[in-house]
Amino acid sequence: MDETTLYRKRKRPAEAFLLSAVYGAASVSVMLLCGMIGYLFFRGAGAVSWRFLTTVTDVAKKTSGIAGNMINTLYIAALTLLAAIPLGVGAAVYLSEYAKPGKLVNLIVFTTETLAGIPSVLFGLFGMGFFGETLGLGYSLLTGALTLALMVLPLIVRNTQEALRAVPEGYRSGALGLGASRFYMIRTVLLPAAMPGILTGVLLSVGRIVGESAALLFTAGSDGHLPKPGGSAFGTIRSLGEKMLESGGTLAVELYLQVQNGRYETAFGIGCVLIAAAFGLNLLVKLAAVRLRNRA
Amino acid sequence: MEKSRISVRNLNLYYGTNHALKDVSLEIRGSAVTALIGPSGCGKSSFLRCINRMNDFVEGVRVEGKVLLDGENLYDRRVDATLLRKKVGMVFQRPNPFPMSIYDNIVYGPRLHGIRARQELDGIVEETLREAALFGEVKDRLKKSALALSGGQQQRLCIARALAVRPEVLLMDEPTSALDPVSTRKVEELIRNLKKKYTVVIVTHNMQQAARVCDDTAFFLAGELVESGPGDVLFSRPKDRRTREYIAGRFG
Repeated sequence: MDETTLYRKRKRPAEAFLLSAVYGAASVSVMLLCGMIGYLFFRGAGAVSWRFLTTVTDVAKKTSGIAGNMINTLYIAALTLLAAIPLGVGAAVYLSEYAKPGKLVNLIVFTTETLAGIPSVLFGLFGMGFFGETLGLGYSLLTGALTLALMVLPLIVRNTQEALRAVPEGYRSGALGLGASRFYMIRTVLLPAAMPGILTGVLLSVGRIVGESAALLFTAGSDGHLPKPGGSAFGTIRSLGEKMLESGGTLAVELYLQVQNGRYETAFGIGCVLIAAAFGLNLLVKLAAVRLRNRA
Repeated sequence: MEKSRISVRNLNLYYGTNHALKDVSLEIRGSAVTALIGPSGCGKSSFLRCINRMNDFVEGVRVEGKVLLDGENLYDRRVDATLLRKKVGMVFQRPNPFPMSIYDNIVYGPRLHGIRARQELDGIVEETLREAALFGEVKDRLKKSALALSGGQQQRLCIARALAVRPEVLLMDEPTSALDPVSTRKVEELIRNLKKKYTVVIVTHNMQQAARVCDDTAFFLAGELVESGPGDVLFSRPKDRRTREYIAGRFG
């Protein structure tokens, strides 16, 4: 063999094969996803109309719409995050900035990880028993939201912890060296620096909230009505407050019920709305993360 | 010798069972640059961190002995660590600007210590950036991210940030070890100017640097203070054999 030339005689076959294999895997993955979304739109787009989005299902008026479910979804998502973000971020800050590394911290981390692996239907069962019966909150948006808060807590804790771990040590010593207390340092330097990571946790949580049905069926129920019109700003707030303690089904729950009743077109229609919502939320959080990074 | 600003008396420092500083006593003059030299792990950085109690944040650390600043013992229980660190600022080995604008980096300390008035903060920013010889380079982009600056500029920004709380003592932990020669020279020039207003204590690996910037030098070895005194004397006529060998480059 001529050893002096650097020119390759031929492509190595193993390498060429591996290259085409990974290309193939990538294209199949993308096609599967696109295909699924396309199929959902194909089956469901016909059901989506302005009326469908803005009216409430009513047997007497013979209307079929999901406005109430959309409001319920937003409401539950807001309530859940309101409970889960402070709790989760607080716990993560404690674990990574205050707690001495050791058995207790390991135990807490292990527990959160286990919590993340529990099937959602069990959260539903627990939420129904504890929040619904023991605390007397009944079938209500609040019971549902508290149950979901438990469910997404590990996501927020884990992502916040990871984000805090990625903050350079120099930021901490820099702030402490100027005389900042640990709390001041966390509030002004650490949390802003960790914000993109925290937002990732929030985004994953929103995804789970919007897509959850099993845990909510037992806790928030399936009512699809809109909150009673308040008439005034104060009335609206009061009506929303009352709604918190009433039953309400989210889009995913409604989808499940529609399938059970054999109304597939409506179910696919709700699927389209869910995909659009997921896409929109993703975009929103991505934008927020980019803006935060640019500001830094 | 002039009256000393900081006196360290029989200082012992332990990290768990590791005895990192052994009975160190040292007088540090005001309005002068004192360089702490010695091989890696000799305790010079630990010593520096005792002067603004940054060791407080290290798990399992124990300090015995006294560090007096203008006659007040820093390790007295009544000492407020926030006020101490306002008076004794610190610059670190790696430039560590916060992920904020240049302006917000500088005013971080003043805001922390309660200054809110916009005009006053603006004044502090310009003044300290001038002091750190950085104002000309960044005056048009004060609102831009500090992370976009070069390493040398970042380090001068960190010096300006430390000066913004009006400290009296400035501790510098190998402030040029992450910088290129040109930036190093700028920072050294800066240090020589700073001693007019501040008491500067600097840890350095680089003996030429110590000789260039310092008035006094202290040589540490294995947790002990071997020798200290005016820099020119210590470098030209070291008393201790170990100092002589270290300066000659025989170890470390």
